[in-house]
Amino acid sequence: MKRLLLVLLLAGCATPPAPESTTPIPAPEPAPPPVSVPAPPPASSRQENIAIAGLMESARADAAAGKLANAAASLERALRIEPRNPRLWHELARVRSRQGQHAQAENVAVRSNSFAGDDRALRAENWKLIAETRNARGDKEGARQALEQSNR
Amino acid sequence: MARRTKLRKFLRFAALATLLAVAGFTLYLDFRVRSEFEGRRFALPARIFARPLELHAGLRIGQADVVDELRQLGYREAPPEGESGWFSKNETGLTVALRPFVFWDGAQPAKRVQVSFDGAKVTAVRDVAGAELPLARLEPLMIGGIYPQGNEDRELVRLAEVPKEFVQALLAVEDRSFYKHHGFDPRALARAVRSLFSNRVQGGSTITQQLVKNFFLSSERTLQRKATELVMAILLEIHYDKDEILETYLNEIYFGQDRDRAIHGVGLAAQFYFGKNVQQLSLAESALLIGIIRGPTHYDPYRHAARTLERRNLVLREARDQGAINLEQYAQARAASLGVTRKTGMGTSQYPAFLQLVHRQLRRDYDEKDLRSEGLRIFTTLDPRVQDAAETALAKRLTQFDKDKRFGQPGLEGAVVVTDPPSGEIQALVGGRDPRYRGYNRALDAARPIGSLLKPAIYLTALSDPNKYTLLTPIDDGPFTWKSRGAPDWQPANYDKKFHGMVPLKTALAHSYNAAAARLGTDLGVDRVLDNVRRLGVERPLRPFASTLLGAVELSPYEVAQMYQTIASGGFRSPLRAIREVTTQEGKPLTRYPLAVEQAFAPEPIALLTYALQDVVREGTGQGMKNFVQPEVAVAGKTGTTDEQRDAWFAGFTGDRLAVVWVGYDDNRAARLSGSAAALPVWGDLMGALAPEPLAPQKPERIELVWIDPQSGLRGGTSCPGSQEVPFMQGSAPRDRAPCSGAMDAAVEAVGETVQKAKGFLERLFGR
Repeated sequence: MKRLLLVLLLAGCATPPAPESTTPIPAPEPAPPPVSVPAPPPASSRQENIAIAGLMESARADAAAGKLANAAASLERALRIEPRNPRLWHELARVRSRQGQHAQAENVAVRSNSFAGDDRALRAENWKLIAETRNARGDKEGARQALEQSNR
Repeated sequence: MARRTKLRKFLRFAALATLLAVAGFTLYLDFRVRSEFEGRRFALPARIFARPLELHAGLRIGQADVVDELRQLGYREAPPEGESGWFSKNETGLTVALRPFVFWDGAQPAKRVQVSFDGAKVTAVRDVAGAELPLARLEPLMIGGIYPQGNEDRELVRLAEVPKEFVQALLAVEDRSFYKHHGFDPRALARAVRSLFSNRVQGGSTITQQLVKNFFLSSERTLQRKATELVMAILLEIHYDKDEILETYLNEIYFGQDRDRAIHGVGLAAQFYFGKNVQQLSLAESALLIGIIRGPTHYDPYRHAARTLERRNLVLREARDQGAINLEQYAQARAASLGVTRKTGMGTSQYPAFLQLVHRQLRRDYDEKDLRSEGLRIFTTLDPRVQDAAETALAKRLTQFDKDKRFGQPGLEGAVVVTDPPSGEIQALVGGRDPRYRGYNRALDAARPIGSLLKPAIYLTALSDPNKYTLLTPIDDGPFTWKSRGAPDWQPANYDKKFHGMVPLKTALAHSYNAAAARLGTDLGVDRVLDNVRRLGVERPLRPFASTLLGAVELSPYEVAQMYQTIASGGFRSPLRAIREVTTQEGKPLTRYPLAVEQAFAPEPIALLTYALQDVVREGTGQGMKNFVQPEVAVAGKTGTTDEQRDAWFAGFTGDRLAVVWVGYDDNRAARLSGSAAALPVWGDLMGALAPEPLAPQKPERIELVWIDPQSGLRGGTSCPGSQEVPFMQGSAPRDRAPCSGAMDAAVEAVGETVQKAKGFLERLFGR
């Protein structure tokens, strides 16, 4: 009975969690200082690079580890800082695609393109991703058109 | 002899019956103690947090604002030493000792950061070793909760987390023989019994008894209740060990009132009075809390500081006398001040209107019961800085209008919604002029005619057809009559009671000409326009009448914000969101409300419309904005005024925020205030206080900018006074040059085009 009460009290216990459960999810913060940034965002805003790069890196690490919700959360944090960074929107589109949210993936990729300016490489990547999501939804014709766009 | 036997028999029977009755009652109490005590889990409110402030190089925020936020979070300005929860100022900025916090995406340990500022900007965030950090995330401000019955609030703690001195001092004052007795203290009990007859209220309850009293019993003081309490205390002691009882006591005990919120348990008390976790309590602070237990109203450190200080020192003395603390500790603690944090007085919520929205969104996914008992942690999008600016702007202006107009009571009301366009996150929501009022939420529930706020949908519909309409297309603002069967003729008049003949499309919108908008809207087709209103995000059914085009449609400020969000974010619609994440109380993620976008309009017509909305502010009905916000911000917005000026609206956006303001009377009296006179100043005050980012919309690829002579509406240039660069869908710009335009202008333009072409060619050639 005492054990039961203890369990109940434990169950209701708020701060801080018991030692074995302090980190339910590895924290993306603090991120290690970005030594090598895989793909820096385009020239639009250099000043905030370090914050963006840090979040991008944790997003990539999370995505690689299959923690897609965390990856998306980091990208959304980054987008709050630089809402017009087409690279961030693109990465988010990739995560959405891996999450199986094909319609969102397409829309987010289109959003990325709306900020891509004359970054042709990124536009092509977005169109490729759109083609993939359309394929996944069984829209063969749409996929073909998207691929055509990506090769333009 | 026989009589004696009978008597004995009767006595024996009576004794047995009494025994049985007592045993039965005891069994019943035992059942109650066990079932209720064990079945009892403390109901914990859902806790609602604002957005966390994320500091990073380049963030546009000044040191004073960061300090404000830190103070709101209960950080103290302190010399740089010791535990977390303080900040100190230095030459380049601030050193902040961040508290640990469990965020949605994991635990963040306590850490120290150095934040440097340059004017209104963060220049760098570093760790103690001087290495630059990508980000420093402050813990979010708690802005309220969804509370269990009685608005009981508590933060559960384990006994092991409570400082030893706290426990020892507590026992020294409340129950010296706690670890020895069996639930009651015979001598104290005797005193208490005597006091019952002498009619003097007297303590003497053990901690176990106090717990029983709080858990199971009413507060009346009768002998029977006292006896029940005693039996239950003994039963509790039989079933549970001392530490369990003490731990439950520490979490149950009442420590005072924060408006309508009841502060229970030492964990929450530590936070409420000192802004600390229980582990961090100093001896003096512990003694103060222990002192409060006896009478939270009587010993209220905010209202009765002297009395409470005396009480604290008494606790310290007792602790010293009982040997719980030594002389040195005593002297040191006694010398300390009360040390309570500035009272923020939040009650169950600081921002009731926003909380109402959060609560409604949560109810789609969670049971009301769970929200009120499971201790969920709700991370929202509220930005306290923006919220405060919105509340202040609205209250200040309404007070001023009331004074100017003297239309009597009840006074003018208003509502404000502020969002972040690219994400649809709601940064602030004000439901009325008294932002603490927990009632009618005008931002969500006051559906009022939106007047001219609907016009952008008409012009958007037109601009979506670049072959027929450009920003310069002449629109007829002559008298207009709409006939439809079964309805009276509709003859919209203009605000200035004049008609303006043929005017360029952007001018018709800038000055909000009704006849022009009605003619254009009916030409395009009411259904087509309303279809676009729906695509902008309005979900309410719209009556397919021509009068709907001029805003005979009732929407709440929240719905208007949804509609304008789609324009502000380049034609991408995002559902407005107030919640980012929900976790369990331990921090385990439950639900995420992700960013979602959907392209509702092509970027080109949105870009043209945005330019036209900027013209509203540059030269139209929104001109007054220059008194509030620098012209460089290039605000895009629209005023709205309804019949007899019952409703005044302004909806608009800068480079970083969208806000919608409504002003009017609840009882629909004519306010005699136009959108530009009443709603615009609120909007201007609000945005002006937030250092808005200039609006420089992304130029879609297929949009070109052409210099236009305002007189002729043809291609102009440096030699045409007042020429403006106007956006056009490729190929839709006028071909002819204005008479004033000289050969020089044509040459400059030709060179520009050649350069563009060459650039395009080279880009194609080299892939970039």
